[in-house]
Amino acid sequence: MARGKRVFFRRRKVCKFCADHIEYIDYKDVKLLQQFVPERAKILPRRISGTCARHQRILQRAIKRARHVALLPFITD
Amino acid sequence: MRTYEMMYILDPRVSEEEEKAIQSDVKDLLTTNGGKIVREEPWGRRKLAYEINKLKEGKYTLLYLAGEAGVLKIEEVEYRMRQNDNILRYLTVRTDEDYKRAGMPLPTETPEEPAEVEGEEPVEPETQAPSTEKGIEKDEEE
Repeated sequence: MARGKRVFFRRRKVCKFCADHIEYIDYKDVKLLQQFVPERAKILPRRISGTCARHQRILQRAIKRARHVALLPFITD
Repeated sequence: MRTYEMMYILDPRVSEEEEKAIQSDVKDLLTTNGGKIVREEPWGRRKLAYEINKLKEGKYTLLYLAGEAGVLKIEEVEYRMRQNDNILRYLTVRTDEDYKRAGMPLPTETPEEPAEVEGEEPVEPETQAPSTEKGIEKDEEE
């Protein structure tokens, strides 16, 4: 629609967890975690997702836990 | 008091009885090692995100635990779980500190079903439309 004006839509670069006041990220919340592991199942870097350092750390731990119990993949190809 | 969550995955090929047996074994182990089972949540069969021992799915069980520092011997339980070839994976996570930091209630015996007790209309504490943050972003540049 916004042809010529904007090619990519701009993501709001605000930490999702700060905005939603989420203090604990559950490794069982696969739906949520999946938003931060795109296709190849790598953890989405902060520079892309806009997550703040603190929440990225919490998130990272949750993702790694989820991987251990096979709720999330390590890699996909 | 500390609280934990323990999740383990069983080989899906075990029979119902075997599954029951293992589940009660694990629980017995926990109680004899100073733990208290607050709640048990059987997730049942679930697809694994990757193959484990060539298996594509597993039977998940989630336990909410409580125990005192120095009394509850998780290592002991995990050691025994490792001996059991039907247990593909386990994960024990301490939750009390994280929950406290997040201001979340500790797990109780009943599955979380907030408020909504007997007949009373659940009164929503302040109706709050999720207002989008004001003008953080001016999306109009060219």
